[in-house]
Amino acid sequence: MRTLLLIAQSEYLDRIRRRSFLLATGGVALILILVGVFGLWASGSRVSGAVGYVDRAGLLKPDALAQAAEGLEFRSYDDEAAALADLEAGRIQALYFIAADYLLSGRMTLLYWDKKPSNRIQAAFTEALRASLLADAPPSVRRRLLDGFHVVMRASEGEREASEEDILNFILPFVVGGFFTFVVMMASGYLLQAVTTEKENRMVEVLFTSVSAFQFIGGKALGLIAVAFTQLGVWLAILAALVFVFLRFTDFLAGVRPSWDFFALLLLYFIPTYALLSAIMIILGSVMADLQQSQQIAGMVNLLFVLPFFFTVLLFTDPNSPILVALTLFPTTAFITVAMRWGVTDIPAWQLVAAWFSVSGAALLGIYLAARVFRAGMLHYGRNVSFARLLKAGR
Amino acid sequence: MQTPTVVLKNIRKWFGSLQAVAGVSFEVHPGEIFGLLGPNGAGKTTTIRIMLDIFRPDEGEVRVFGGPMTEAKKGRVGYLPEERGLYRDQKLETVLVYLARLKGLSADEARASVHAWLERLDLFEHRHKKIQDLSRGMQQKAQLIATLAHDPDLIVVDEPFSGLDPVNTRLVKRIIEEQRQAGKTIIMSTHQMHQVEAMCNRIVLINHGRVVLYGDVEEIKRRHSAHAIEIEGRGDFHDLPGVLETRRQDGVWHLSLAAETDPQTVWRALAGRDDVKIERFELAEPSLEDIFVATVQQMEA
Repeated sequence: MRTLLLIAQSEYLDRIRRRSFLLATGGVALILILVGVFGLWASGSRVSGAVGYVDRAGLLKPDALAQAAEGLEFRSYDDEAAALADLEAGRIQALYFIAADYLLSGRMTLLYWDKKPSNRIQAAFTEALRASLLADAPPSVRRRLLDGFHVVMRASEGEREASEEDILNFILPFVVGGFFTFVVMMASGYLLQAVTTEKENRMVEVLFTSVSAFQFIGGKALGLIAVAFTQLGVWLAILAALVFVFLRFTDFLAGVRPSWDFFALLLLYFIPTYALLSAIMIILGSVMADLQQSQQIAGMVNLLFVLPFFFTVLLFTDPNSPILVALTLFPTTAFITVAMRWGVTDIPAWQLVAAWFSVSGAALLGIYLAARVFRAGMLHYGRNVSFARLLKAGR
Repeated sequence: MQTPTVVLKNIRKWFGSLQAVAGVSFEVHPGEIFGLLGPNGAGKTTTIRIMLDIFRPDEGEVRVFGGPMTEAKKGRVGYLPEERGLYRDQKLETVLVYLARLKGLSADEARASVHAWLERLDLFEHRHKKIQDLSRGMQQKAQLIATLAHDPDLIVVDEPFSGLDPVNTRLVKRIIEEQRQAGKTIIMSTHQMHQVEAMCNRIVLINHGRVVLYGDVEEIKRRHSAHAIEIEGRGDFHDLPGVLETRRQDGVWHLSLAAETDPQTVWRALAGRDDVKIERFELAEPSLEDIFVATVQQMEA
């Protein structure tokens, strides 16, 4: 175990100190930040600044405003001139005028300088005004009117339903599944590089007199998945910070509820899928003469794993079609298909179990073959291993 | 006699239809430098790989330190392969410390040992350089450090002098000799016969996967002393019956005889010729190179 961890540690440190790693991690992080900042700007949010109002109709009730304005500051003005002066001086970011005949005309004016107040501010003010208007109505009527419509879309066969607010929960598994697939591919791509580099550096002979093939491969795989998670961790931390900012200052993500059973399921599939792809990459790295050749073949192998993305339209029109069921049960496509279908349908339990056994079985077989081919192929410096030799090694 | 460090018994290995090793047996003892010799493609490297558990033999038995090779025993082995390689884009010290730690040393022990070896081999100032920025000779010395830093009991070196200048060749020879004196077991594979002759106590010569010579170097030379002749004189001494190889060096003709050829037969053949004049005809102690060439050529014939 000590040796395995030592190899993992060495692989990890070597990889994260590389300029390519820093550039890739930092580059994506920068893009995420830029996209987030742009999103905030586009949603018209202001991260600070009170909002003033002049209620000429005398409708707005302070307790209704306080309840709706959670975390926001609304400042009441009796004097219009003073309110306008504060707006001009930048002491408030926007100013509402509720017309004296509001009950008849519904007229309300919003004044601001360059930036429109965020959706959240506008929603809070509108909600406070509605709540004030309904203050004397019976509670059940008031709640119904304030909550508005709640449309539920349900498929005719009675499967998973989705509501308007639920649209992000509908899409999220799709996105998260894609993200995890990306990590699996990234880590196994690193592994392919590591194995090929080892072969190109002609280090294997020395290493095999120090460690077993299992320690060698296991250590590399462990170190490289840690690299992938480090990269993912950095990006997720930035994403989490952005989500926090969005939640604080916009209502964009307010309806999202994390699905913990989905995350548990992802983890369950993630491990054998990573093992399977890693085994394939080890075989490729052992068999091919150099990195360039290996990567060409690896590109085709990766296609086998992202194949379900080509059926995205089918996913939304018929998530239980035989093609998607077949992709669920096929080892290389099980992970991403399950992730994609999770948000749009109830996947039958038997399919989930069968798919997990399919990918796990393939992973075990892959690891067994990889260990044998690795021993046979890694000493073929600078040349490919013949198909006949590959078959012999596999037997 | 001490328990042999390495015992190979009737090792056989096939790659497809090709038999790379065909029944090789030998023993190597602590405190000796053992020469593993043979022409290119003879099966030497395969034999070494089988000995070190990189390959598994199809038949036969390998015993290292009294039993089969285990993960724990790997820490007692130092191997300098013919196919040299280190992580080219990593720093010298980092790579050497890592490799020493893989052999079971703690980080501090590994660093201390690597520093000592770097100083001894004049590489200490280059320890922060990347491997790819070192000269070929420096890389060769770095590889030797990787072989010795963990103080192994069994040292297997394949062509240890390739890429070294005469000064460093001498240094490496001295280091190998020191290791032998310290009681380590050293197996050396090389084509440089004069080095084998100067350093090895015993040898095994492999050809076509079979052992064709095995034993004490002096004993082998004595055994072959009747099979080499030195001649001084005028004329061409090529194409004599029963002579495997004829070469001229510093005006002296060296003839390697086939095992069944008597020197008298050569003398009689020369006496009957008018085109040569003999000034000196002498039985010679053959060099290991002569024995190597004669043995291999005889097999090929």
